[in-house]
Amino acid sequence: MQVRLHVQRSDPVTGETRLQLFELELPREATLLDCLEQIKDEVDGTLAFRRSCREGICGSCAVRIDGRTALACRTPVAELVAEGHAPTIAPIGNLPVVRDLVVEMEPMWQKMRAVEPFLRPGPDCGLDGRETPIPSARLDAVRKESLCINCGACVSECDAMTVSPEFLGPHALVKAWRLVGDPRDDAVAPRLKGLSGEHGIWECTRCYLCNERCPKGVDPRDAIAKLGAEAIAARIDRDRGARHAKWFVTSARTTGWLRESELVVRTLGLAFSFAKIPLALRLFRRGKAPLPLPRHRARDLAPARELRHIVAGQDRRGALGIVQGERALERIDFICSPEQPVGEDEP
Amino acid sequence: MRRIAYYKGCLAGLSARELDVSTRALAPKLGLELVELESVTCCGAGDIQMADPDYALHLNARILAEAEHAGSGTILTVCNVCTLNLRQAAWQLGNDEQLRSRVNENLERSGARPYSGGVEVTHLLWLIARGEGLERLKEIAVRKLDGLRVAPFYGCQLLRPSKLMGFEDPDRPTSLETVIEACGGEPVDYPAKTRCCGFPILLAREQTSLAELARPLEQALEAGAEAMVTSCPLCHLSLDAWQKSLERTLGRKLGLPIFHLSQLLALAAGLEPARLEFSRHAVSLGPVLARLESPLEGGR
Ligand code: SF4
Ligand code: SF4
Repeated sequence: MQVRLHVQRSDPVTGETRLQLFELELPREATLLDCLEQIKDEVDGTLAFRRSCREGICGSCAVRIDGRTALACRTPVAELVAEGHAPTIAPIGNLPVVRDLVVEMEPMWQKMRAVEPFLRPGPDCGLDGRETPIPSARLDAVRKESLCINCGACVSECDAMTVSPEFLGPHALVKAWRLVGDPRDDAVAPRLKGLSGEHGIWECTRCYLCNERCPKGVDPRDAIAKLGAEAIAARIDRDRGARHAKWFVTSARTTGWLRESELVVRTLGLAFSFAKIPLALRLFRRGKAPLPLPRHRARDLAPARELRHIVAGQDRRGALGIVQGERALERIDFICSPEQPVGEDEP
Repeated sequence: MRRIAYYKGCLAGLSARELDVSTRALAPKLGLELVELESVTCCGAGDIQMADPDYALHLNARILAEAEHAGSGTILTVCNVCTLNLRQAAWQLGNDEQLRSRVNENLERSGARPYSGGVEVTHLLWLIARGEGLERLKEIAVRKLDGLRVAPFYGCQLLRPSKLMGFEDPDRPTSLETVIEACGGEPVDYPAKTRCCGFPILLAREQTSLAELARPLEQALEAGAEAMVTSCPLCHLSLDAWQKSLERTLGRKLGLPIFHLSQLLALAAGLEPARLEFSRHAVSLGPVLARLESPLEGGR
């Protein structure tokens, strides 16, 4: 199979970045990593990239292929070069480039260290040398997150990190949930407090790029939602993001629909809301800021109120409300083919 | 006429009322009879999914059950976020019997109807971007947009997570472009069309949010767009209502008018602009409408 690739080359000495075209001959089953290795072995030994295990375990070889981040070792090249297309291979994003396809991972590790990625064992945690039995249902809460291989594919395209580099980001927050959700950890409240800072849980903008790119099905955005759910359940909810989220619950059980006009005050607090008055007036003139009264009410409100009451008394509070849906979601990976629209009957 | 359950969501009943109004005006042209779901609530918007996820699942189950009761196997939405939340719940409830029976028990206890599974959740864009819907659109698009350069804005949650959405390639979507072309407009390409508008954290992290908002607006203008169209009223709120605030932060004028998808379609279908409540937008569509109005009699 003939393969043509553009590879982004960066020289740290001259600071120059350019695209270099390579033309290769490879077997049909070759992966993108095979291509890079052939280039290095046979064409240009100066090409720099990372790799180790070659089978999607070590998390070293994430690159951007025509903009999408993926592991080179898990990307069959035949699809990429179909119809003579010559894909562009570039280093992952949101991290500084060292050379060619190699990026500096240190900013990512710094954030990982910031969330203290090790267990702080509680008193009944097998410190006497015995193992700690944990019901498997409790481990389900962190099972997906345990699959993370630290490849940085999620960080590469995180929209919030691109505009706010200090944001902890999907990878570190996955680690954070791995511990907050671990029944053996004894530092849950301080962890959640720390994660509720300016660049923590509530700075995620829900673009879902991390879920889309993660090669291991970790779904970092869902881990972040779990952290938010636990923070709110533990009443660590003073952050504007948490107040914003809680107002939707109040709205749903009191009027059914969002009480939009009060959302600003509920999120920002009265004092900060004054700054928004000019905007509000401008929008009000356009009919864009509905008055608080009469409220936009849903019909048959009683069940919405009652449901809230019922679920509050059941054992699916906080993150468990998300975890309970994961079993069904996982089936998508096994059942759905692109031809079969999601939601239709199973074959 | 195809009867279809219509879930308008929060915003189309509130600050984006023009979206609801134009969707209703457009529906008969598309051969749709909208059955509005009324005994329903907010889908949770991703916020209840964090503040109380179990409650969010129940609220969505109720919406799905109401659609089922209305005799419609499909729910039509006009919002990216509603689409994602409903599809997620539909998938979870449809594929986990244990979960569904627990939720149904609770629904019945609360006085709501149970959900038996199998309702399909779709977005207006998906209905018209392919197959019969597209053919129909081509027929009704009588007032051609006269080559108006329109930037498609997809945002996030109609594309991702693609395993739940699955309508098209989340990185190279084409549905909005197809629709713009069918209406006689010229789609404008720019990289940020599939990126975030920043809406979910607009109040909680304004600076980060506005920095995200700047990208699609600046890039679309750079690429020569005269207007933008979006499939999501939340994106619309960012792109339109907050554009002035962004202009102040950037220190430059943007002035890019933003269509709701339904408005663009309705306009192309020949509906009177006055019926589409453009006056409610923060960024005026005046110049765009004037450009489309004038040579109409000339018979383009
Ligand atoms: S969903 Fe949140 S964490 Fe994930 S990529 Fe988007 S902004 Fe980043
Ligand atoms: S969460 Fe997924 S994409 Fe992110 S570092 Fe871990 S394995 Fe890689």
